[in-house]
Amino acid sequence: MKRARSSEADEETPRQNGSSGRRRGVQQHRGNEDDEGPGLGAANLQDDDIDPSLRREIRSKYRDLINSVQQNREDMLSPSNNKLTEVLEEANKLFQDVREAREAALDAQLLVVATDLGKEKASQLFSEGAAFDPTAFAEHLLSFMGLNRLEDEEEELQNGAVDGYLPQDAWHRVAKRAESCFKTAPAFHYMMGSFHAEPPPPKQRIERQRKVPGKEAKRMMPTQLKKMEESHQEATEKEVERILGFLKGYHQDDPSTPISYYEFVIDPNSFSRTIENMFHTSFLIRDGLARMYLDDKLPCIAPVEEGEVEAGGSASRKQCITSISLKTWKELIDAFDISDTLIQPLNTQNE
Amino acid sequence: MSQQMGDSHRRFLQNMMANGIVDEQDAKTLYQHCCQTHNTQCILDKLDDFIGTINSKLQPMFMQIRKGMSEDSGHQYYALVNMAETDVTRMSSDYTDTELELFRKTMDLIVSSENGKASSTDILNTADTLSTKKLKKSETEHLLNRLVHDKWLNEKRGEYTLSTRCIIEMEPYIRTMYQDQVKVCHICHNIAFQCQICENPTCGIKIHHPCVARYFKGRTEPQCPACDDFWPHEIPEPQRKGKKTELIYMYLHVWVHS
Amino acid sequence: MTQRKRLSNTQISSQSRRRSEVAVAEEEDGDLTFTQPSTSQVQRGLERLTSAQVDQKTAEVVQYFLVKDQKKIPVRRADLVKHVLKDYRNVYPEIMKRVTQSLDQVFGLKLVEIDTKNHIYILINKLEPAEGAPLDNSPTNPKMGLLFVILSVIFMKRGAVKENVIWHTLKKLRVDPGEKHEEFGDVKKLITDEFVRQRYLEYVRIPHTDPIEHEFRWGQRADLEVSKAKILEFMGELHNQEPQSWTQQYRDAHSTPNSTQASTSSQR
Repeated sequence: MKRARSSEADEETPRQNGSSGRRRGVQQHRGNEDDEGPGLGAANLQDDDIDPSLRREIRSKYRDLINSVQQNREDMLSPSNNKLTEVLEEANKLFQDVREAREAALDAQLLVVATDLGKEKASQLFSEGAAFDPTAFAEHLLSFMGLNRLEDEEEELQNGAVDGYLPQDAWHRVAKRAESCFKTAPAFHYMMGSFHAEPPPPKQRIERQRKVPGKEAKRMMPTQLKKMEESHQEATEKEVERILGFLKGYHQDDPSTPISYYEFVIDPNSFSRTIENMFHTSFLIRDGLARMYLDDKLPCIAPVEEGEVEAGGSASRKQCITSISLKTWKELIDAFDISDTLIQPLNTQNE
Repeated sequence: MSQQMGDSHRRFLQNMMANGIVDEQDAKTLYQHCCQTHNTQCILDKLDDFIGTINSKLQPMFMQIRKGMSEDSGHQYYALVNMAETDVTRMSSDYTDTELELFRKTMDLIVSSENGKASSTDILNTADTLSTKKLKKSETEHLLNRLVHDKWLNEKRGEYTLSTRCIIEMEPYIRTMYQDQVKVCHICHNIAFQCQICENPTCGIKIHHPCVARYFKGRTEPQCPACDDFWPHEIPEPQRKGKKTELIYMYLHVWVHS
Repeated sequence: MTQRKRLSNTQISSQSRRRSEVAVAEEEDGDLTFTQPSTSQVQRGLERLTSAQVDQKTAEVVQYFLVKDQKKIPVRRADLVKHVLKDYRNVYPEIMKRVTQSLDQVFGLKLVEIDTKNHIYILINKLEPAEGAPLDNSPTNPKMGLLFVILSVIFMKRGAVKENVIWHTLKKLRVDPGEKHEEFGDVKKLITDEFVRQRYLEYVRIPHTDPIEHEFRWGQRADLEVSKAKILEFMGELHNQEPQSWTQQYRDAHSTPNSTQASTSSQR
């Protein structure tokens, strides 16, 4: 803090003198910023003609400087950052060639931006007590939120900042900590009374459930699957057959050991392939080419023998629906200790 | 009953607002905490009197802290409930009208089912029949997650049941709206969703699982308390499953409709 | 099919009626129609009502405040009169007196008029947050974490902060205002719209800026609800530094008559 103060103050003092002196000159033009007419130059600006392309270049350089101050404002505010001095020196050089009001106006604009920044920098320097640095604050907060910092150097290089991932409850941790600072009124939530009381429509539920299994089964297929089925029907059929091939293969290898459903469909290297496998496998079940059953309360899958396919009519078939989330997927991999995929992905096979 | 409320009562009520429902053990801990914070006397077995004082002031606002049993564990719970439906209560902004319609239809499904459950498939199909606005599959799934998170529904292996909080608050509503369908437990006389049913076709009484466990505890030849027929169901054991098995079950969202 | 259609049409109209009522009242500047009744008017009004009627209306108004507080939206008197008080507008002061008392005595909540010109009310807690609250699993709202971070930065920057500082800081915390966030959804909307409507934040244009720049300040609700001293304590913990070392912020936190001082016991 002290170090920064002395060095900055040394640099700031002459700069401020210089700029305020110059500023007076520039301010005389401020009202005429948009007017390019001749004869508006102040006494200290000479009126001799200069090359229009040089003027264009000057303006473009001014704009770049203004931009760079605006874009890098936060970093330039940091006590150890000397960029402001560099910008002002650059502006001084440019100003030597400024002859016309239009360029002078840009110089003024840059000064406004720089002065504002300088003011804030100064207020940081001369304020009593510690300064607040949002960047350091964010850094500490990340630790508080339980950031898992990645050891991987490559990742760090890519972003130039601290890398790593935040745990799922990161913001809950902050919220929990915040509770003691807030005197927020707790809210009252209820269900009863939030909607109009309405008796249910009359039902013939027993008939509905038992009599039309075919129709029910069809309706039960989620809409998402229906859509996929229409657009990718052929690809799907191929993939379903391919998976049936795997299933039959594993079953033939060891017919007496049940094949765990999750071990069969889960690809521990890819969540999305797991979803695809589950999707395609569902067709095997739907079409009666495979069956699922519970073995010691765990779901298992087995191919249906050729003869059985016909014999087991649709009435006795069962409908299965499975769902999986990224979290579940990870937990299942752990629970079943899955290290390999049983269904080889299609593309790696082809390659 | 005419006891005045103090800050300890108000703090207890505020915690009930924030949590919606707490089990008996937590309620006692909370009671102690509130009394300690405001230096008032705390007599642990007077929790119901303490809550009675709050309720006497809440009732004019159509609110109440109501006690009820979990159908699952048999434990006692306290829930803060709303008791009236008015133009003002319908302004509640937690759920949209469409979402509430889906909730109501889910309740229809659960109440009318044999086993007090509704599969997510059936609920998803119901989402296509909403009168206000159709919900997409993903929207419905998101809503169901929210309803579970807000403690209005329970979910286990893809099947939804009414939560303890929901049953406690909605019991009068369910009894009125579903009078033809709803059955009460023969032992505790509360409405019963998760229960065993006497298989004698002329009897068919229902008993909650925890009530079964309590009622038949230690009996070798269990008989229906209404018709004296043999009680053919497995008598649940009071202790709970191990944590690990439960975790795996929770994530095996596989269910087979027979 | 036709039957279903007809059914859904009637339902839609009844639903949208309820919606549009609310929407209209929130848009129009309807407080003009309401004038505060005089004491004698109130007296006469009360004589015509039974105490049960007054109690009932009081309860409805209490519930209205609780319902609006579910999403922390301030209540405008105009809406209250239009949707709840209705025919009881002539006894408004009496009802409000009872409502204030009941919120205070039963719930430990304080009804505060944050805008005396437009008559806007919010609820804040009269009870101090408790040390070591016993229910660890009580639900938390991650949005409050985000708000807390923003309020902290504003406070530490002495009351006003350019929006870029906030976006810059949040990006470091893996929250990008331009991207949909898993927990916060549309971050920019949450911060510049929802928090602003709840009166936690003010989002104001800085005059004479080109391109347009905005800055954040604390909103009235934050002034009433949030303890600067406790924020500074948290800052101390985070930076492993004494809160007093931020001399000016420390002075701000302990001199302004904000929430910490306003906390009186609700017992009378």
